[in-house]
Amino acid sequence: MAQIEFINVCKFFGETRVIENLNLTIKDGSFTVLLGPSGCGKTTLLRMIAGIGPATSGRILLDGRDITHTPPGKRGVAMVFQNYAIYPTMTVRGNIEFGLKNNKVPKAERDRLIREVSEVVGLTAFLDRKPSTLSGGQRQRVALARAMVKNPKVFLMDEPLSNLDAKLRAAMRVELIELHRKLQTTFVYVTHDQVEAMAMADTIILMNDGEIQQEGSPEEIYRDPNNIFTAQFIGTPPMNIFTLSERAGVQIGFRPEKVDLAHEDQGGFFRRKGRIATREMLGSETLYKIDFPDGISIMVKSLEEGFGVGEEVYVSVDREELCFFDRSGQRIREGLDELLALAGGSN
Amino acid sequence: MNQHLETKRRFFDKEKIKEKILPYIMVAPAMAFLLVFTFYPMVNLVYLSFFDYNLINPNKKFVGWRNYSDLFFLRKDFVVALKNTAVYTGAVVFFVILLALLLALWIRKDGKLNHFVQSCAFTPHLVAMLSCAMIWAWIMDANRYGLFNTVLSFFNLPPLRWLNSSTTAMLSVVIVSVWKSIGYYCLIIVSALKAIPAEIYEAAELDNTPKLRLFFRIILPLLSPQLFFLLVTITINSFRVFDTVRIMTEGGPGNATDVISFYIYRYAFRHFRIGYASAAGTILMLILMVLTAIYFKVLSKRIHYQ
Repeated sequence: MAQIEFINVCKFFGETRVIENLNLTIKDGSFTVLLGPSGCGKTTLLRMIAGIGPATSGRILLDGRDITHTPPGKRGVAMVFQNYAIYPTMTVRGNIEFGLKNNKVPKAERDRLIREVSEVVGLTAFLDRKPSTLSGGQRQRVALARAMVKNPKVFLMDEPLSNLDAKLRAAMRVELIELHRKLQTTFVYVTHDQVEAMAMADTIILMNDGEIQQEGSPEEIYRDPNNIFTAQFIGTPPMNIFTLSERAGVQIGFRPEKVDLAHEDQGGFFRRKGRIATREMLGSETLYKIDFPDGISIMVKSLEEGFGVGEEVYVSVDREELCFFDRSGQRIREGLDELLALAGGSN
Repeated sequence: MNQHLETKRRFFDKEKIKEKILPYIMVAPAMAFLLVFTFYPMVNLVYLSFFDYNLINPNKKFVGWRNYSDLFFLRKDFVVALKNTAVYTGAVVFFVILLALLLALWIRKDGKLNHFVQSCAFTPHLVAMLSCAMIWAWIMDANRYGLFNTVLSFFNLPPLRWLNSSTTAMLSVVIVSVWKSIGYYCLIIVSALKAIPAEIYEAAELDNTPKLRLFFRIILPLLSPQLFFLLVTITINSFRVFDTVRIMTEGGPGNATDVISFYIYRYAFRHFRIGYASAAGTILMLILMVLTAIYFKVLSKRIHYQ
């Protein structure tokens, strides 16, 4: 059981406000990803849980116990750093063992734990090597083993995969998901990579400018964005959003992969005629940029690769796939009939 | 066609020769300087140590090992100088490294006060040794005008004779040397400390590491390359100490602060016994070579180069 609660947490760096009055609960046993652009406060939040960057005000609870002023080593949390922060002068074994020794775990117990953990992360053959002789992926595993061996209530990970190459990153992603399933512990994972977040999280907390934009499962965040920020941060390419009615201040949005393309007008709800400006063949799918006569352009991701640059095409979107946003960028969820009528009539 | 190939090959041969010779030409000036100003004097030093030779009489007389046997068996003062040098070196190495390390740990964080302290500690390094010695000669003056003795008398304590007493003279010289060099070596350690990534400390904190253990198991090993460098350079510099002794004590009182370099200087340029002084110089060189070799052999295994 390890639920983390932030209560009215603020953080200032000098005069700069990073986080203000943030309230958040991270569920026990969840794989929670703190997602957002750099400087949004996600790492600050993680460091508060770890206790290495205390909050300016507010309280942090772990299992209902106030840990705001508990030293990092006594919180029962373990952290994997972006650049691993392995002790360079110790062997792999020394690195894994260090925290155990500090906590006065008996020798026999230590040996057993190291054996088990190094087995899990595949480091058994490297226990007596120095970190400088290891590859990036192996160092990553050392950092992971060092965290695991403490049997923490919470795993904190600060962009742990960002220093790995794309292939290894994908492999480690799967391993981390499996590890989480096996350990059933709370994972809090910081990243700016939305693909990583979508792939691994069971809860995504999307942040911007020190504020939580939306909290939910990857599906919710993708399908049902609360605001324009979420709609455009998640998904590649981001959601197409443009003004529907200047007077009402309403913007309409839909995902590039939810658009149907055709050479002839085939009906459908939201219909428009446009011209293909660019075409990017990505393998399984093709990305088109389509210009409308009124100067608006949208991106379309389609399984159809048979459209060429300069061709006229008909674009249509189902009514369920349309989102509407108000002037401040918030999602409009009421009075949709009127807006749908407006959208349906706009072709 | 053949001819063409032939000329081409000759051309490449020329290139090849050029490629081989060019590096030597490039290093030649430096090597010439080394030869003239380092290797020749070194060899000449050893050569002269086998002669009875003074600057007044140009005739050199070959005496074999006699200069060496005189050094160690006939005259007692060389062994005393050797012992003094060892004491001086040991004390300076110990106190400079210890104090520079403690000072560095204290002022490693950026801040106005720390920068001020660092500047203060570094200032003596910028002052000429001559001026330093003058300042300290006043501070340690044996009469009541000296700063130390003024302070002592303020507390109704008896004055000390500092440089004038054979028991405190060496200590006084050591104090001056430590005071002068501590800022410079502290700077080296501070920069090494700043190079340790903050995450290492944070990881240690998360590992529930006690302060003392953090220092001995993580910080100290990470500083070991710099500390080793300090150990070697301070040892060599201290073994060759001259100016401090020359200005402050002239090796006295008695021969309480007589060190090898000063001993060599005295015999070479006051008694004009070049051959004898050369033998002493050769011994100094051998000691430094052996010492450095031992350092590298024994300690280099315990150093963590990144």
